[in-house]
Amino acid sequence: MSARYGMVIDLDRCTGCGACMIACAAENNVSPPEPRATWRTGITPMVVRALSNGKDGTDRREAFIPITCMHCEHETPCVSVCPQQAVEFDKSTGIVMQMPQRCLGCRYCMTACPYHARYFNWWDPQWPPGMEKSLNPGVSVRMRGVVEKCNLCHSRYHDALQKAAAAGKKEIDVADYVPACVEACPTGAIQFGDLADPKDPATIAAKSPDAFRLLEAIGTEPKIHYKTTQAWIRALADRQSDRPTEAPHV
Amino acid sequence: MFPWIDGFHWTPTHIIFLSLFGAALSAILATAAWGLWRTLGDFRKHLAAATCWRENFGELPAVEKRCRHELAGRLPSRQCDHAFDCRTCPNYDKFAALPANVPASRAGVSYSDNLLYHRGHTWVRGDWDGTFAIGLDEFAKHLVGSPESVKLPEVCDEVESEGIAWTMIKNGHKIRVRSPLAGTVISTGGPDSDFYLKILPHSQPNLRHLLKGPEVAGWLAAEVDRLQMQMSKGKATLADGGTMMPDLMDAEPGSDWDAILESTFIDR
Amino acid sequence: MSETALVDRRWIERGAERASTMRFLLWLFPWVCLLLLGVYAAGLCFYYGLNQTNMDNRFAFGLWIFLDLTVIALGAGAFFTGFLVYILKQQDLKPVLNSAVVIGLTCYSGAVAVLMVDVGQPLRAWFTFWYPNTHSMLTEVTFCISCYLLVLVLEYIPVLVKNRQLRRVPSFLVFEHQAHKLVPVLAGVGAFLSFFHQGSLGGLYGVLRGRPFAYRQGFMIWPSTFFLFILSAIAVGPSFLMLVVATAEKITGQKLVDFRVYRKLGFISGVMLAIYVAAKAIDTYVWLNVTSPSMGFGPWDYYSYWPLSSTFLFTATVPLGLLPAILFIVPRTARHRGLLLLAAALTCCGVALNRFVMTVQTLALPTLPFDPFLKYTPSWQEVATFGAVVAYGVIVYSLSYRYLPMFEAMKGE
Repeated sequence: MSARYGMVIDLDRCTGCGACMIACAAENNVSPPEPRATWRTGITPMVVRALSNGKDGTDRREAFIPITCMHCEHETPCVSVCPQQAVEFDKSTGIVMQMPQRCLGCRYCMTACPYHARYFNWWDPQWPPGMEKSLNPGVSVRMRGVVEKCNLCHSRYHDALQKAAAAGKKEIDVADYVPACVEACPTGAIQFGDLADPKDPATIAAKSPDAFRLLEAIGTEPKIHYKTTQAWIRALADRQSDRPTEAPHV
Repeated sequence: MFPWIDGFHWTPTHIIFLSLFGAALSAILATAAWGLWRTLGDFRKHLAAATCWRENFGELPAVEKRCRHELAGRLPSRQCDHAFDCRTCPNYDKFAALPANVPASRAGVSYSDNLLYHRGHTWVRGDWDGTFAIGLDEFAKHLVGSPESVKLPEVCDEVESEGIAWTMIKNGHKIRVRSPLAGTVISTGGPDSDFYLKILPHSQPNLRHLLKGPEVAGWLAAEVDRLQMQMSKGKATLADGGTMMPDLMDAEPGSDWDAILESTFIDR
Repeated sequence: MSETALVDRRWIERGAERASTMRFLLWLFPWVCLLLLGVYAAGLCFYYGLNQTNMDNRFAFGLWIFLDLTVIALGAGAFFTGFLVYILKQQDLKPVLNSAVVIGLTCYSGAVAVLMVDVGQPLRAWFTFWYPNTHSMLTEVTFCISCYLLVLVLEYIPVLVKNRQLRRVPSFLVFEHQAHKLVPVLAGVGAFLSFFHQGSLGGLYGVLRGRPFAYRQGFMIWPSTFFLFILSAIAVGPSFLMLVVATAEKITGQKLVDFRVYRKLGFISGVMLAIYVAAKAIDTYVWLNVTSPSMGFGPWDYYSYWPLSSTFLFTATVPLGLLPAILFIVPRTARHRGLLLLAAALTCCGVALNRFVMTVQTLALPTLPFDPFLKYTPSWQEVATFGAVVAYGVIVYSLSYRYLPMFEAMKGE
């Protein structure tokens, strides 16, 4: 039976601490950024963006929204545009898999992604001497000139599969498969689960009236849902961008 | 990409897409291959020389493509459309029957009634033993004078009709002289000899494309006129009364010898 | 012109008038410098990586992709002129055919060279051929452009071997004689391939559902991006050809083609342009009122950013589209060489602007509601590489003009 792994992120709980970003970088062997790197050239498969309602004084409201690959379910934009088939939609998990070893670096997928969730290796990764010992052996390192993105910690899914196989089971135990960002979040804002399983708590949360997705009208059926009771965030997410907010930064 | 690669499977889109490209690419490669094949074929069938001759003929200006029958005074005006190869011209017999009308004195340079002349300025003389001697005509000799070097073929080499018979170097210009006949080289001579080459054709050759008699006078007169015009561009003149001076390449080094030699030997 | 001043006269067509060798070298010198600077910039990109450019994760496509699309549109004159001459038997365009082939060859080879620098892993270029994703427009573009470049090389070879010295090699001359008969086949295949890739270059952006500015829904991708791009390419091809030949005439001081050829090219360009403007107007109307709102984007949102106000939309279609079409078609204006060339220049600018809008502007416009409008300025390495392609085109055309029989009017005396 195919799973559809996804997330529900509670924006009322997200404090913008950035622990998910750090955990993601550590898990995925993202090197310390080049001195010249900016928010537009750095590699942040998980990135936390700042939102505000644009008002001042006591009316001002701010929030944080973690953005990662949405693992679009329907006519995944990056899958259909890659000329080398370096992106694959894994039907058994619903994860959009990026294969950096086949990537040509044409960056067409990056223009296709509506969520700007793809990152290009503008530099070769470099670790300070000794830091290479902290690399995660389960995740391959990418060289410059290829695109990468969140793959829902697929190596952890692999580990869960191996654990299940060792126990003679075909299906994984969902509790064994926890992406790094989910594990690191101190407030438990990120809920991870199998959205194809109607009994999964994540699925139930995704169906709540407070839940929404970004750019729903485009029809990509993202598997990253957001949840908030704050109406202004809902309004911001639904509203079309004719009044840009300040340049976002973390 | 192939059926045994894990995860790959053919879809109709693959088949249509790759078929279309396969067709386009095949057409392109087939075109290139066909061109190469035909080229090789031309060489194998000894047609390459004739092809080059025709291409060079094609580049000549209209005034240098005059039919031998016009030059002989048989016709008021006619442009050759057969690369001077009367052997395959369907109109030859029709025009050759007309009377020629050129005085021999018009030539401007000497020639012999006993020789047959090729429009590349070589002459042909059939000998009693079935061989043919080939030499450079007086016009060409007056132009070139004494060549600095001559590269002749070896005995037993094959020459093709309109192929390169021999090459001469003069004042830095490489002159490639075309052979009027095809055959095997049985003897070589040179500028100091009576002939340049003696060849034995494989079969009785067709000599229809060679000029003889009054035609030669008309042709040489036209050639002298052409030479006069080409040299006068460099402010040089031929000499008194339209008769050619000898050793012109040495006497008038300032003329456009590239152009003159190209027109004379029909070699670009 | 004294004979001694033409050191390379043996390589020049007999009777053809050419500038002295020194003057020619002086003309080439700045272009060679520009080319070398661009090669150095490209070398930096190969060595250090694409961080040498100012492209980033938001502007994944920048100046180079704009250059590629524009230059391929401008080079469309190659396939279209070949199609007109060999398939539609418009023999009066034959004098400019060789020019069109040279322009096409330099445009396409320049575009491919820049693409090799633009991708992160050029050595993996063969992956597209080995693992083709037949659903992707970029796969189609890659295949088509590679095949078409081969066609252009094969079309150029007969022109090249007609050089005065090269033709003295018997095998070259015989091959040219044989290849000459095959050019109509190549022209046909070239037209077929060009038709597809010119269109697919538009389709590249039409499929981007994440970019409502460029996206066209479902079947509408075909008329809106695919066919519009083909139309604009066919419109600009003859215009650019005209401009190049006119520039060559100005620089060399020689009359290379009859004015009637310019008028014919202009008329063809004008008609295509008029059809394009009409089609584009319909497409824009549909996109403004149907497509974009259905994706949740109010269309005039796009045009509230400075400097991209509605003036931009106006600029693309009226002065750079409708006006040149009128100048080309109306006999009173088409009779004037100056107006004809002005129209050609405006057309080229219009198509360049259209390519810019589809590439750079598409990326600048925010999709996520909390994103700002973004700006991008190319780095000197990008500009230098751009300059190198222009220089390459000028150098190849100059060399071809000097040493090859490009124009039939140039024959002997």
